[in-house]
Amino acid sequence: MKYVSGYTLWLVIFFVIPLIIILSFSFLEKTPYGGVNFSFSLEGYKSLLTIGYLKVFWRTVWISIISTLITVLLALPAAYYIAKSKFKNLLLILVVIPFWTNSLIRIYAWIFVLGNNGIINQFLRFIGLIDSHIQFLYNPWAVILVLVYTYLPYAIIPLYASIERLDNSIFEAALDLGCSKRKAFFKVLIPNIKTGLITSIIFVLIPAMGSYAIPDLVGGVNSKMIGNEIARQLTTAKNWPAASAISSVLTLITLLGVILFVRNSKKEVLN
Amino acid sequence: MKKFWITLILVVVAIVVTIVAIPKKKVLYIYNWEEYIPQEVIDSFEEKYNCEVVYDSFASNEEMYAKIKAGGSGYDIVFPSGDHVSIMKKEEMLLKLDLSKIPNFKYLDQNVLSKTTYDPNHEYSVPYMLGSTGICVNKKYVKDYKHSWSIYEDEKLKGHMTLLDDMREVLGGALKYLGYSVNTTNPKEIEEAKELVLKWKENIVKFDASSYANGIVNGEYWVVHGYAEDIFQRVPEGEEDNYDFFIPEEGGTLWIDNMVILKDAKHVDLAYKFIDHILDPKNAAIIAEFLGLPSPNVEARKYITTEPIYTIEDLKNCEFIEDVGEYIDLYNKVWQEIIM
Repeated sequence: MKYVSGYTLWLVIFFVIPLIIILSFSFLEKTPYGGVNFSFSLEGYKSLLTIGYLKVFWRTVWISIISTLITVLLALPAAYYIAKSKFKNLLLILVVIPFWTNSLIRIYAWIFVLGNNGIINQFLRFIGLIDSHIQFLYNPWAVILVLVYTYLPYAIIPLYASIERLDNSIFEAALDLGCSKRKAFFKVLIPNIKTGLITSIIFVLIPAMGSYAIPDLVGGVNSKMIGNEIARQLTTAKNWPAASAISSVLTLITLLGVILFVRNSKKEVLN
Repeated sequence: MKKFWITLILVVVAIVVTIVAIPKKKVLYIYNWEEYIPQEVIDSFEEKYNCEVVYDSFASNEEMYAKIKAGGSGYDIVFPSGDHVSIMKKEEMLLKLDLSKIPNFKYLDQNVLSKTTYDPNHEYSVPYMLGSTGICVNKKYVKDYKHSWSIYEDEKLKGHMTLLDDMREVLGGALKYLGYSVNTTNPKEIEEAKELVLKWKENIVKFDASSYANGIVNGEYWVVHGYAEDIFQRVPEGEEDNYDFFIPEEGGTLWIDNMVILKDAKHVDLAYKFIDHILDPKNAAIIAEFLGLPSPNVEARKYITTEPIYTIEDLKNCEFIEDVGEYIDLYNKVWQEIIM
């Protein structure tokens, strides 16, 4: 009981109250130089009804979904291998090590590797394959690449935890009963690690939807995501209600997505 | 387990006692652009007044403003540009200055002081530095170019150029190129500027205000729009000649960065002393040499030995970015259409 109340307090202070503040700001009137007037207004939401915002929201959604898919697809074999390996503790540490470095530095590292004057381009120039350079960065695919790189550990760890718990004998039973390896993978492994799978998808999808630094640094003229827009409305445009309205819509989309997703997968488990 | 708790409590108590017991120096909190004051000037201030200076930095006026506006920032001195001085003045965020506490104010160039239309009587702000935003070209890669905004129309440079991620600077450049004022409130002129920037956008890699300086120095970009002092601080010694920083012949935007004391500053006396310290001719000379910019401090010019990247005369075609009040929405609207 003690722990529950502590957790609730934590949740209220750091999540519920800020959320309520954002939500209420989104329904207030803006003042010309930032800040809000305390009178009801829907202007914040009305300003979102433009083709531009539709484009940015859509871009945010597809970039996040594709990065999540790739991340989880890469994490699954990695987690499986680690769980079955003799050196699992060592391998797990290797997965966590990137966290010891600041994430901004790791993003900049990608610029040094893939940049117009980066290591790969210098190498290609050196062996004479190209004259000038190939532009790897500054497009949505670069954003996806760095998102996958950044969030891979978040996907591996929950998957590892659920695979590690699995009893090996259920595979043996499946194979003994004439199940092909492929079938065993889809009919036995996947349903059994469903919670791990859901957790890792949520762990990647939600932060990806709100990413800010990655599209800012490795994105180009057409890869702004909704996080960048929130920051711009708050700073350059000095329109706090609009910034709050975008944040509220983003939270709503994420929340709906997660609820639908968790519900559907629960149903399937029951069936 | 009990042992653990006792150790933990002891450690916490020890930390608290040390923090409380150390005789506290006065601390001055400064919020300024990155690498904008040379460390030796800060060090000499700390020594002279036996205090400590905490220097936090921001990358844009807007970022600074949003943080202060949200309240409780705890800063004493902030370095906003002119347009934001006028906004902060209107929003009553600034302390009214007593110039008698800043004796070195007398060394400031009358020419510069006459340009501070955002605060004509210097009631709230003291100029720190002035300059122009310009274009820098890496001559190793680009040989043939004109000193003009038209460089952004050169398709040969496509994929090698950046513009600042700054609404007023970029639209200001476009407006100047078209022969209009950077502070225009005419929707038609702003619309024309938008069309022009959209054309430029085809040729640039990105709108970049945070890593363009590193980018041009390590060869990632060839042509960047930005601040000279940012770029030349990163150029390795002896390679300065490879970089050509110019103010486009059509003119550009002008800025004055200012020192202001926040209304809720807790260390007002120390803040006055700091402003005076900065205006001390010898310190002003160190700052101008460090930044490579012309000094607004007349007396300081006697101590400066290196040539600045550009002189105050070079700025004659340039125009100040002023606060345009509610017309800013015109700019916001077209900028949104450009970047999204």
